[in-house]
Amino acid sequence: MAALCLTTGVLGYILAAHAQETQRAKTLGQKLLCVCGCNQILTACNHVGCTYSHGMLKELDDRVARNEPDDLTIQAFVQEYGSTVLAAPPTTGFNRAAWIMPIVVPLIALYLFFELIRRWRQRAAIATASGPAVSAELLARAQREAGKDDDEQR
Amino acid sequence: MDIFGSFALILAFLAAVYAFAAGIAGAITRRPLLTRSARHSGMAVFGLVTLAVASLEYFFFTDNFSMAYVAAHSNRALPALYKFAALWAGQEGSLLFWSWLLSTYVFLALFVNRNKHPELMPYAGVVMAGVQIFFLTLNNFVASPFGVLGGPDASGTLRLAALGDGHGLNPLLQYPEMVIHPPMLYLGYTGFTIPFAFALAALLGRYPGEKWIHITRRWTMIAWCFQSIGILLGAHWAYAVLGWGGYWAWDPVENASLLPWITGTAFLHSVMMQEKRGMLKVWNIWLVFTTFMLCILGTLLTRSGVISSVHAFAQSSIGNWFVGFLALVFIVCFWSYWLNRDYLRSDNTLDSLVSRESSFLFNNLILLAACFAVLWGTLFPVLSEWVVGNKISVGPPFFNKVNVPIALFLLLLTGVGPLLAWRKTSFDALRRNFAWPVIIGVVSGIVAFIFGFREIYSLICLILCVFVTLSIASEFYRGARVIAARDGSNILAAIGDLTMRNTRRYGGYIVHFGMVLIFIGIAGSAFNKDVQMEMAPGQSLAIGPYTILCQNFDRVANNNFESERATLEIFRDGRSEMMLYPERRFFLASEVTETMVAVQSKPLHDLYVVYAGRSPETGKPVIHAYQNPLVKWIWFGGIVVVLGTGLALLPNRRAALVLKPVTEQSWGNAVAKGVSPIGAIARSSDAHD
Repeated sequence: MAALCLTTGVLGYILAAHAQETQRAKTLGQKLLCVCGCNQILTACNHVGCTYSHGMLKELDDRVARNEPDDLTIQAFVQEYGSTVLAAPPTTGFNRAAWIMPIVVPLIALYLFFELIRRWRQRAAIATASGPAVSAELLARAQREAGKDDDEQR
Repeated sequence: MDIFGSFALILAFLAAVYAFAAGIAGAITRRPLLTRSARHSGMAVFGLVTLAVASLEYFFFTDNFSMAYVAAHSNRALPALYKFAALWAGQEGSLLFWSWLLSTYVFLALFVNRNKHPELMPYAGVVMAGVQIFFLTLNNFVASPFGVLGGPDASGTLRLAALGDGHGLNPLLQYPEMVIHPPMLYLGYTGFTIPFAFALAALLGRYPGEKWIHITRRWTMIAWCFQSIGILLGAHWAYAVLGWGGYWAWDPVENASLLPWITGTAFLHSVMMQEKRGMLKVWNIWLVFTTFMLCILGTLLTRSGVISSVHAFAQSSIGNWFVGFLALVFIVCFWSYWLNRDYLRSDNTLDSLVSRESSFLFNNLILLAACFAVLWGTLFPVLSEWVVGNKISVGPPFFNKVNVPIALFLLLLTGVGPLLAWRKTSFDALRRNFAWPVIIGVVSGIVAFIFGFREIYSLICLILCVFVTLSIASEFYRGARVIAARDGSNILAAIGDLTMRNTRRYGGYIVHFGMVLIFIGIAGSAFNKDVQMEMAPGQSLAIGPYTILCQNFDRVANNNFESERATLEIFRDGRSEMMLYPERRFFLASEVTETMVAVQSKPLHDLYVVYAGRSPETGKPVIHAYQNPLVKWIWFGGIVVVLGTGLALLPNRRAALVLKPVTEQSWGNAVAKGVSPIGAIARSSDAHD
């Protein structure tokens, strides 16, 4: 009975460790591209006759099985296949620009958006101040009707 | 016959040149005869390019392998449908096909407006002819599809050589969707030429008002709709053929098709501000210009080999032509804008930040941010290589990280925009319109979280989808309730009536709902599962609720391909549910092997099975199975988008007016009696959109 429990425990541990390894390999594989030119994530490349993906996946599995740290594994792949093996640009040097620009440009656009609105409102205020005189009665009526339209157009 | 096709193309080129020159002369001298002859010449291009296309198709169907293009892209055993589609399988043929679609659009635009807009049409005709000249130059002098095999013999006489059989069509293209996906995409790309031509013409001719927008609204929507269909069919093709379990890989060519679609979407929204309020004139003109230039950029990316892609055509020097054309288009656009910028002054300004106008403006901003992010990621490898001499890859992790938040924000605006009024929305109105959609959206998010829905983006997406759906539903309900109360009809009939009275507005809402469905489908991808296993007959693997039992592997063959096929029995909860037959086909003519995926698609998930070949180590067949949730919603959402666009293209049904005689009264009397002439006029007009 004890032997059975022990065997089950060991088997359970091995299976759990294997599942963890497989998951880690999959996660790491999603950070890499197949270098056959298909532009696909390494774990997704299924090109028939692809001479790269099978070997790369095997190498990845081996490194994960050796419990090599993730950074080291990624670095090893970069050294072997070049920086094009990375699925996303690294956050170092000029490549930082890849990540920064999609944030900076919308922020600049947002600033311009508010600046444009500010100018429009300023221009509208000047136009109103320099426009022909409007009687208080007419202005009140216009405001009343603008309010009405607002409700109707919603 | 090859001379016939070449001759037709040369004539088409000359006709386009004449349409261009006579159009300019007609616009300057204002002589109707010149303008008319330019128009007729522009229309004749269509007939001539049609003859060239028909001639090339004839070569395909008669297996004329002395034609280089036919020999490279067809073979005798190729099914007739694919022989027809082989027209656009390669560089030369697809450019001819592009020219033909463009000439079809130009013909229709010239014909429909033949007796309209005499001030605008000559300019528009010139711009359209200019674009045609560029593509016909490529067809005639750079990438002619009518090249023949052979060469001069010793005596200098040209000797034709014919192959016994052709090399066959690229196996990836031998799939029914590939017969319609490229035409749809090309119809989108080429279709944006028409709004571009009218926008540039209006600017050059200083054509007053928003007329060019009214003229081109439907053309833009048609092009946008085709582009949407093309993108979705492409995604479906990638899903069903490439066999990697997904539908969008952020490949440069996929991105290239997305860019003009994004700016086109922005234009379709911002154009309403110009129509309603006379605002954003500069913005709209540049959105149309940008959309057209992105279409050309997309073609450049596909054909120049600047960026590596599985979709790209062979690398060639043709890219330089596109770079030159793109530069020329930009110079002409900028020059026209600079000369006529005073004509583009806004009539109105923004009254409030909480208004329909500001939501459109914001939506445009976000769409352009998305466009920039996609373009930046697509071109960054080239930029990086140019700046630091180090080529890097920009793959799905980058695009997902950058674009998912932007897309979710856009989804939010899809729900917010319709609930805001033009000019200004009061706080009361905001509370009234937003309360229930927001509350129900948040509650559904909480419920989903409790039931284990922990993926953050998918959770936000779910909340927003519920919010947008309710905001759209409330728009229909509020309008229909008024009609139902007044006419005594039931609410469903009232919804139909309401929709047909303002097809553009309610068709637009249906398009938004289609986008919601697409977002739901995309959110499902966060829960994809996959299992790969070497399987001998009798073995089984489990994925989700399914057990896949391998029954056997066999070989089937026909004249076109030989196939190795797996026969799989699918069990669900212990009961046999279906059989699936994933294959690997070896195409005899091209000597290329491809996968044929087996998919069982259901509303909640797809079971997607790939026969991934034999393991190099053990020689055993490998089966890769995926359980992809909610993918069907994407295709269904696409259908809804198309239906909504179709509805928005229909003319409004006018409400029946019953006139009753009134005694004439002065403005002053009307005001004194509390009847508002201004309000009456405003209410009788089409206040929505």
